Amino acid sequence: MQDKKNISIILKDLLFTGLIATILLIPIVGLRTEISTADSTGLIFDYNFLIAFIVIAFVIGVRFLFHIYWFSKIKKTQKEKSEKDKKLFLKKLNLYLGIIAGFVAFTLPFMPFANRYVVDVATLVLTYVMLGWGLNIVVGLAGLLDLGYVAFFAVGAYSYALLSTSFDLSFWICLPLAGILSAFAGILLGFPVLRLRGDYLAIVTLGFGEIIRLILLNWYEFTNGPDGISRIPRPSFFGFPFERKSDVTTFHELFGLEYSTMHRIIFLYYLILILALLTNFFTIKIRNLPVGRAWEALREDETACRAIGINPTNTKLTAFAIGAMFGGFAGSFFATRQGFVSPESFTFIESAIILAIVVLGGMGSQIGVVVASIVLIGSTELFRELEQFRMLAFGLAMIVIMIMKPRGLLSNREPSILMHTKKNE
Amino acid sequence: MNNILEINHLTMRFGGLLAIDDVSFSVEENTITSLIGPNGAGKTTVFNCITGFYKPTVGEILLKTNKNFNLERMNDFTIPQKAKVARTFQNIRLFPQMTVLENLIVAQHNKLMDASMYTLKGLVNAKSFVNAENEAKELAKYWLDKINLIDRADIEAGNLPYGQQRKVEICRSMCTEPKLLCLDEPAAGLNANESLELNELLKFIKKEHKISILLIEHDMSVVMGISDKVVVLDYGKKIAEGDPNTVKSNPEVIKAYLGEE
Repeated sequence: MQDKKNISIILKDLLFTGLIATILLIPIVGLRTEISTADSTGLIFDYNFLIAFIVIAFVIGVRFLFHIYWFSKIKKTQKEKSEKDKKLFLKKLNLYLGIIAGFVAFTLPFMPFANRYVVDVATLVLTYVMLGWGLNIVVGLAGLLDLGYVAFFAVGAYSYALLSTSFDLSFWICLPLAGILSAFAGILLGFPVLRLRGDYLAIVTLGFGEIIRLILLNWYEFTNGPDGISRIPRPSFFGFPFERKSDVTTFHELFGLEYSTMHRIIFLYYLILILALLTNFFTIKIRNLPVGRAWEALREDETACRAIGINPTNTKLTAFAIGAMFGGFAGSFFATRQGFVSPESFTFIESAIILAIVVLGGMGSQIGVVVASIVLIGSTELFRELEQFRMLAFGLAMIVIMIMKPRGLLSNREPSILMHTKKNE
Repeated sequence: MNNILEINHLTMRFGGLLAIDDVSFSVEENTITSLIGPNGAGKTTVFNCITGFYKPTVGEILLKTNKNFNLERMNDFTIPQKAKVARTFQNIRLFPQMTVLENLIVAQHNKLMDASMYTLKGLVNAKSFVNAENEAKELAKYWLDKINLIDRADIEAGNLPYGQQRKVEICRSMCTEPKLLCLDEPAAGLNANESLELNELLKFIKKEHKISILLIEHDMSVVMGISDKVVVLDYGKKIAEGDPNTVKSNPEVIKAYLGEE
């Protein structure tokens, strides 16, 4: 009886889906305007309903699969997986994923399939992982919705670019300086927005991101405006450059290797890997310290925080500053990798992508950020051939994750301190 | 007996609304003082003034511990930090996604922050910080033991039953090591049994820790059972003050609660 009812519901739903898909897809896919070949003056309609029907059938099929998945899920919950088992499973999953990801990350450049393209994409993914981890401090831990995180990325990148081109400082000096300058930018943003919460904070940070980009675009004397800053020095291996020939000992001479352009690519890969891991370990550590706990408490309830004597001003500012600092580190890496920075790289969509990575990964989850970066950045790279469908894939990935896992892929909060150690359990 | 808290001519105005009208009373050291009154009498507003969430329009709030503090001039978060006044809320405000233990550890934030030298020492796991953290854990353990929740210390606070959350909130305030504890309707939503346990806990806090308690309460079994003094507010004005029995028979109070014949 129940099954029959379900089937009729599914059929009705599929019919409705088909109807909507037909209304939408017939004009979008089935009709096309072509320049008329008969006389070169106007446009004519080109009909291709076959493709439209294939797409409609596909949509209905996906909807059907979705139904099957949904019903199997209901059956599963009837078995009653207890909350604790679920948590333990997530914990294990996080651990194994972490180990696998770490192993793959360290060996990737030496895999047989690792050509220049693969390592480049991996470097890009790791840049986003690092940015995600940095933003996770602000959004995931302190609960401050920041829509302008790319501003700190930009400050870091431009700090590095300007310091290294004007003062000829080396990468290893510029990197911490860029981080400090970004942290200051974070505090600068933090002060005016301290009283704001939630949506209001998001709007102001969004504005801040745009302000930074507009300054970079219009302050021509300082930032070179839309032309950007080019010829940013490439990083050297602790003083040994990655050049074919140089006045000083080069990297391949130092190790007696054949010169290859891959050396620098691989070095950059490991550089971002180490920077990202640094961010990760710092976050894990600081979560268990008083300031980290205060951030989480602030996310949960600001009024209660005031009532137990936590200074919300300082706590928020440290979150902004530290989050911004890691954004700055990532920015200087970006500048040295590209060798060129311009305001175009720091548009709002970048902030949105980084925030999407944090939210989809599961707020506050470190390994979730990695998975989300691979899914989002990787999928857009995978669909590079299909150019115009890339953003479609991006959106699809987001929708699928939000439907299946509304709290993020791997959201599992570990207590920062335990009364009972595992042995006692 | 010395007064720990003296409120003089406290007035709070929200635009045209006079929420508190020239209220003066005091809390003696090591006593339990109850603030009662019908709904909308201004009890929580008095609390918010004491704990710095509101700035009073007129009046003085003097806290006399080893030093004197003018609470009306202090920030909401410096009052628990420096003047050592802790409070709870009418609607429970725990950190729901954090564990019970974490809730109690966060309450010791300022102490731990100093011990970790603004996290620098914490980052390198300095011994002095580890010791301070263990001490904080011991204090939390002590209070959890008192409310028999030691087994549930690692559970998310939001998953506890209502009555236990109330108790955890009181313990969280106690973990800030206050001199004056302000409780806003601690017995609201508790059953008779839980109310009795609450009475015992408050008596214990007063007796063993020499802490003065100021509480707002509607549950008369709590008010009459443990209060040393009762202050009655109605329409923002103080209408009676004294020990529970005299207040109970005060005609003004009966009128405020039951209306006139």
